[in-house]
Amino acid sequence: MTGKGMVWMKKRKCNMRMVLYELRNLNGNLMPHFFGIIFPNFMCYFLAQSVGSGVPAAMRQEVVTTVVLTMTLVMPMAIMLLGYGAIYSQEVEREIPLRMHLFGLEEKSIVLAKIIAHFILLTIAFVIFAIFQLAVMDIQKPAPLSLLCLVVSLYAIGVIFLVIAHALANLLRKFSLTFGITMGLYFFLMIITGMMGMRTEQLPEGLQRVAWTLPMTYISNDFIDFWQGGSYNFMPFIQSFLFLAAVAGLLLLFSLHKGRRVVR
Amino acid sequence: MVMNILLTIKQLQVKYGSQTALRIEEPIAFEKGERIGIIGSNGAGKSTLVKALLGLVPYEGRVVTSLTPAEMAVHMQFNAYVKTMPVRCIMETVLDTRIKGNKELQELIAFFEFEECLSKRFNALSGGQKQKLTIIMVMMQKAELTFYDEVTSGLDFETRQRLMEKLVEWYRDKNDTLVMVSHYYEELEQLVDKLLILDKGSIVAYGSVEELFRTYCGDSILVLDNSERNRMLTEGFRTLKSPAHLLALSCRSRQEEHDIASLLINNNVNFKRSSKDIEIMSINAREHHLAQAASI
Repeated sequence: MTGKGMVWMKKRKCNMRMVLYELRNLNGNLMPHFFGIIFPNFMCYFLAQSVGSGVPAAMRQEVVTTVVLTMTLVMPMAIMLLGYGAIYSQEVEREIPLRMHLFGLEEKSIVLAKIIAHFILLTIAFVIFAIFQLAVMDIQKPAPLSLLCLVVSLYAIGVIFLVIAHALANLLRKFSLTFGITMGLYFFLMIITGMMGMRTEQLPEGLQRVAWTLPMTYISNDFIDFWQGGSYNFMPFIQSFLFLAAVAGLLLLFSLHKGRRVVR
Repeated sequence: MVMNILLTIKQLQVKYGSQTALRIEEPIAFEKGERIGIIGSNGAGKSTLVKALLGLVPYEGRVVTSLTPAEMAVHMQFNAYVKTMPVRCIMETVLDTRIKGNKELQELIAFFEFEECLSKRFNALSGGQKQKLTIIMVMMQKAELTFYDEVTSGLDFETRQRLMEKLVEWYRDKNDTLVMVSHYYEELEQLVDKLLILDKGSIVAYGSVEELFRTYCGDSILVLDNSERNRMLTEGFRTLKSPAHLLALSCRSRQEEHDIASLLINNNVNFKRSSKDIEIMSINAREHHLAQAASI
């Protein structure tokens, strides 16, 4: 070993035990469960009741379906951005990843186990949401491809927000700061992408421009148009995905660059 | 002999910003089976040295070792785990094993009387129990070289004593190579046979406890209360630097020791004899180092 310093790794790969550990870790923090499961279900129910009661009966099912589509977005944002951000930043602040690393658990493996655990919770949240909303609300039956498109989009949004949360936690290295910023971002995005009941057209022009750079806005505004089939121009939606993914990727690269060990 | 060297430090320098936290110029080797204590006051560079050896801080110079990372284990000064996680789950995940099916782990848990802690969450453990958790997991790594950095830091006197007794008992008659960082001289006296004394990022002395003791203290020392009567009584004998409340007399031969001891006994003075008092030895080594530095 020369001046480079030791590359301290016993290379323990991600395994089932690590995933179960991360699931327990997730269950020890009830924030993702509240914001990712309870909140969207009840928010969706009350919002759909309130908005649905103000429209003619012929339009009610479409309006309720729009609300439901919009509220699905809360789950990946809450579980990945808020939940992962909160858990990982607490660990970074207390240097738990370093302790695990010294025991030979590779950071990559730990993060992979966390990602798998978060995706398991996200899937559980989707299933509960679907069962609950189908049970209590009259929703339009989707075309299979439209449903697939929604599910894939929600998971992709989840990945992007997980990357953002990971990068923020790595950069800020403090739970309070990371939580404050992710919580602020969560509510800001919910407001401008229509999740709080305000339509995008009602926003000031500047905010509207910001909103249309985000894939969530397309899901809450446009997905209802092809929910039961039909054609849709996906190009702006895909571009918004690429834009958000690029922002997340750059943030991650910056956090990794800032957190690297300088070797002389 | 060369075969026994686990790790050699050559020209190591660690800087935090523009400040040099550690500078080791003379080569230092850790040999197989040695128990090395690293001692020094706050800011001496003890933890920085351990971190540099583990590659956790950037450094200049070389650390030559044939050890693979898997052959080193470390108990850091701060060892945190997920607060809400059951201890059993932490242990099984870190060690990638089931306690039920691992006899060696069960023995270690029993040795440290840790059974009841397994069902608790990490944040429900006391300070001593938290240290035991990491110690058990570090020991289970069965590494060629194990670092213990301030293993009793933050513990009350009784817990510290009990934990050290356990560590000493565990390592008795074993051939593990240990590097132990501590503020507490008496802990090192129990466990180490070699000492690295650091001061303000520089090496004051490195060698076997006996060798260093002979160099800086003599064959043995007699320690008594620093009272006026005792000072008058021992006037003319060689005194060493010592904590203000103590008087340390250096004995360079059996005869000298016998003479001083007889004098003290005849005058009914309580005293303590030692031939490996690390505290007095490191104070005098530091004094010697400072005097040498001043003369340069």
